[in-house]
Amino acid sequence: MRSKALSFALYVVAAMIGILALAYPFLIVAFAPLGIGDGSASTTATPLLTTLLVSLCLAVLLVELQGQAAGAKTVAALGIMVAATSTLRFIEVGIPGPGGFSPIFAPIILGGYVFGARFGFLLGAMTMLVSAVITAGVGPWLPYQMFTAGWIGLTAGLLPHPSHGRAEIFLLIAFAFVWGFFYGAIMNLYTWPYFSGDATTTWAAGIGVGDSIRRYAAFYLTTSLVWDSAAALGNVILMAAFGLPTVRALTRFHGRMQYQAWQAS
Amino acid sequence: MTLDVRAWVVWLFAGGLLAILTSNPFYLILLLIISRLVEYACASHIPQQWRLPFWRIAIVILFFSTLFNALTAHFGQTSLFALPAQWPLIGGDITLEAAVFGFLNGLRLITLLSFFLAFNSIVPASQLAGLTPRALHEIGLVLLIAITYIPETIGQYRRIRDAQAIRGYRMRGWRIWHPILIPLLISGLERALNLSETMVARGYGSTTNVSMPARARAAMLAGLLLTLAGALRLVWGGLDGWALIAIGGLAIAGAYLDLSRQVSRTQYYDRRWSLTATWVVNGALIALGILLVSRRSLNYSPYPDLTAPPFDTWIGAAILGLAVPAIIILFRKPAIEVPA
Repeated sequence: MRSKALSFALYVVAAMIGILALAYPFLIVAFAPLGIGDGSASTTATPLLTTLLVSLCLAVLLVELQGQAAGAKTVAALGIMVAATSTLRFIEVGIPGPGGFSPIFAPIILGGYVFGARFGFLLGAMTMLVSAVITAGVGPWLPYQMFTAGWIGLTAGLLPHPSHGRAEIFLLIAFAFVWGFFYGAIMNLYTWPYFSGDATTTWAAGIGVGDSIRRYAAFYLTTSLVWDSAAALGNVILMAAFGLPTVRALTRFHGRMQYQAWQAS
Repeated sequence: MTLDVRAWVVWLFAGGLLAILTSNPFYLILLLIISRLVEYACASHIPQQWRLPFWRIAIVILFFSTLFNALTAHFGQTSLFALPAQWPLIGGDITLEAAVFGFLNGLRLITLLSFFLAFNSIVPASQLAGLTPRALHEIGLVLLIAITYIPETIGQYRRIRDAQAIRGYRMRGWRIWHPILIPLLISGLERALNLSETMVARGYGSTTNVSMPARARAAMLAGLLLTLAGALRLVWGGLDGWALIAIGGLAIAGAYLDLSRQVSRTQYYDRRWSLTATWVVNGALIALGILLVSRRSLNYSPYPDLTAPPFDTWIGAAILGLAVPAIIILFRKPAIEVPA
């Protein structure tokens, strides 16, 4: 009971820190009043701080989640699915798709939807890690990618499971479409404080929450909306083409993976 | 060059941190050249087709960074030309200073990218997986399975594609991917079930089930709460928030150490710290020393009026400490061939 309570508290606090880290550029007023805020110092310190926060969060979530998914079947299935999804990213690096399109999000969503939120989080985070290792993409942006892709898998695991096939595919398509924009909008937050330029679109130390959100919305509309539209439409096409057959295949294996032999008492 | 992976981590940390904190173009260009040289000297084992086209990416980043800043930032004294003021966002004076500032931002990004690409090219994926803390042994196992099975997945894809081609399928349009991707997924999951049975047969999970100790969970929770408090403190303007985050980080690190003690790991190859590794670390530490001695001289701003950036020979010499791996390769005696 105490263990469950501690585990629940860990998830709640880690989620709060994750949200805080991603929303930091909207909230931060710390540097200017302290005399450090000449702009450049804040521009450097804020991304470093948020990377630190996301990394600490990820460190705790990974160790907590792995303990709950440690069966041999889960470990093997996770490893193989991560390998398959990472291969898609490897192909994407060789043959880049249009705009922000990436074929890796559809399998993460489907994996999380069938195998559950914990599996989905680990699938998303590990796919980003492994594909970064094989495509030479390890960098300070990696914790953000892991965390955000983990959220995609986790939230997919929390979706309802309609019994009607048509409702199920519409739900998955809508979910994939929305995350096409969300992923880009969240990942932009990592680089946004680095940009300098017009005051209506760039971040500055000490501006209020409302002003930050207005500036970020303007920045997103001018620089990212078209790019992320390609990601969202790509997700929709992949989900429409492969969603239901993949869900059926994964569901069949989910049942087989849950089979457990117990000694008769 | 085979070096302990920990020496490369120190090298990466020093180079990456300097690239983030430097805005002087001379030092950035020096860092960029060093990172490229080290990659070319030390990553000869990576086939060319597996490397990212760095210079192509770099030119794109520099171009867009310069263009974006020049069009949207209308500060600076030297006006190149003007766009109609009524044009939203980009209307106004296009200045040389804004273009240079954008170029410097891009240069900083590609220098950082260059260090990470060099690190990824030099250190094999298996050694990177070996860096996984023992507390994350299941995650490490998933990582190793995934890295091991990627070539197998690509091979399986080719086999299925050939088999479908023999049956008369033509690879045209996206719908034709159905008979390839779904069998690929199913065969992959079949392999996962076989692999799990092999793992169980070889003893995976057969040891006494040790659950995570409550003290480790409590330490992680305390660490996260301190981190949250520190981050909120910084939002409200308290510099002591950094101290709270540092203590939180230490609590989480303590929990990791505690959990790592419960897991024993064997290594096939003995990792030995060599004299070369010591030289590489010393070179990186000399470069990092700049931050302690002369942090401010790394800064440069083209605003409000463009001036030539300063260059300090001592700082340049200290940055050269990061080139130690390339210098060692250059002056290394050729291996003596032993006749069979």
